[in-house]
Amino acid sequence: MSKIKIVPCSGIGKVFGLLARESVLMVTEEKCPDECETLCLAHVVTGDDEVVGKINGENCITMDGCAKYCAKKSVEETGGIVVKSHKVPDYIKAHRGEEHGTGTYLTDDGWKYAEELAEIMVEDIKEIKAGVN
Amino acid sequence: MSDSLCVLPCNGLDKCAGDLSRRVAQEMAKSEEVELICPVLLNQNKSRYEKALEAGSLTVIDGCNTRCASKLAADLELAIKEKVNVSEVAKSLDIKLGIEIREDQDTQAVIQAVLGKINSSAAEQVESEFVEPESVEYNTFSHGKFIFKVPKANYYFNENDCWVTVSGNMARVGVSDYVQQNLSDILYVDPPEIGDEFEQFDDLGSIESSKAVFEIVSPVAGTVVAVNAGLSDAPEQVNESPYEKGWLVEVRLSDFEEDQDLLHDCPAYFEFLKRKVEQIDV
Amino acid sequence: MLGNRIGVISCSGEECLGGTISRLAVRKMMEELKPGMVSTLCLPLFIAGDGGEREFAEKYPTIAVDGCSKCCAKRAIEKYSSAVAGSIDVAEIIGEAKALEKPLSTRYITDLHMEYVNQTAAKTCEIFDEILAKQ
Repeated sequence: MSKIKIVPCSGIGKVFGLLARESVLMVTEEKCPDECETLCLAHVVTGDDEVVGKINGENCITMDGCAKYCAKKSVEETGGIVVKSHKVPDYIKAHRGEEHGTGTYLTDDGWKYAEELAEIMVEDIKEIKAGVN
Repeated sequence: MSDSLCVLPCNGLDKCAGDLSRRVAQEMAKSEEVELICPVLLNQNKSRYEKALEAGSLTVIDGCNTRCASKLAADLELAIKEKVNVSEVAKSLDIKLGIEIREDQDTQAVIQAVLGKINSSAAEQVESEFVEPESVEYNTFSHGKFIFKVPKANYYFNENDCWVTVSGNMARVGVSDYVQQNLSDILYVDPPEIGDEFEQFDDLGSIESSKAVFEIVSPVAGTVVAVNAGLSDAPEQVNESPYEKGWLVEVRLSDFEEDQDLLHDCPAYFEFLKRKVEQIDV
Repeated sequence: MLGNRIGVISCSGEECLGGTISRLAVRKMMEELKPGMVSTLCLPLFIAGDGGEREFAEKYPTIAVDGCSKCCAKRAIEKYSSAVAGSIDVAEIIGEAKALEKPLSTRYITDLHMEYVNQTAAKTCEIFDEILAKQ
């Protein structure tokens, strides 16, 4: 079974883009490096042949920063199977009042939130591996 | 209000919260007016439930924050009257559900609280008497990378960038496209209480993004008869559709003719907004 | 939201260090070097085309800051709007091999990485100033 692809939006304007990026890096680089890998969204959206080949027909998880769903839409258009799609604000209710940082850096609360998002994706990976979806 | 009700639980098999969504739905389905919708069958064969969904309003019960049931309903473009999230209700009761499926006092308390929430909401929210327009046409102008849109007709604005659109004696209130673009991703909507009476230019709740809190300054006087319940789970609708799906409050008007004297119609607001954007170099 | 009429698009690539550098360089420009003077455009949104990003890049000079030699940001501007007003390839500044190293969390940014960010941001500012001088 090939590695699950996880693609964040990495939006540059706001902290949600950085939260998406950092949470995905936590999963692909530290928590589950053997089960998953990230792909460059810029390559996906520009239709890079190598990335399109890697993504087409594969299980993918997307983490978007806003309701524009750039990562999800781009992966779907490239032929990836988006098994789990999340966006950072989906889980924000429990974090009301916290300061998470900016598009450049995360605060301690921001890192905790990124960790929570990463754990959600770790659970996704376990489910996908177990064939739940 | 519709006589019948359809209830769509997430029915999650692998976690306690999903199991509770199923148990709440089964409890509700003891009433003859309630049709229980199986999410798996709905996903496979939507037509199986088409009649029931046409005849009744839809309540969705999600087990956890993955919100599979809500997402399924959204994917199938079903109109949701109300959403309840079992995990959030449990959290408000300070009850940890965990993974293990169980029947005990805690889970029973969560079930009762979810049922109570659904019942009280049904009692509060009257069926909307507001008649939505079939479509809204827009004028747009751009400034830098931002494109602002304003309806061509049938909306009235105050200078705080809040709008009202009227249908008989009822009206809906919301915020302009300019507000949502300035705030960026809207994360929380704090609506007023149903039944609240208010004067023109009174506060009518607020919306909050990661950038700021925006107080809704009411363009009209009246009484709150409904709030857009869908925004508690999907506040981004204010960003995506500020003049239509992202409406905030439904009101019974006191005296719209008088209120109108202090409001801009669409062409006037369009010009007002263009000047404002130019002056502050948005 | 917008002071001047010069845009910058970073690739923000997730697969290599160059993407992290390009992203941080553009953020540095936006926050420290040219505050209120640049309009940052989000590359995926630019390509999706449902905001005002493309229209902006058609009307106003826009700089691409790419993390590797695939130059996704530059190619996107050329494809969807018009010729780029200037472009930076981080790989040319820090070397191809370095740029293609593993992507980096901002938690692990070292002084050396910040030096790469500073160099890239300074180079982008040079282009920015040249464009501004011509306006």
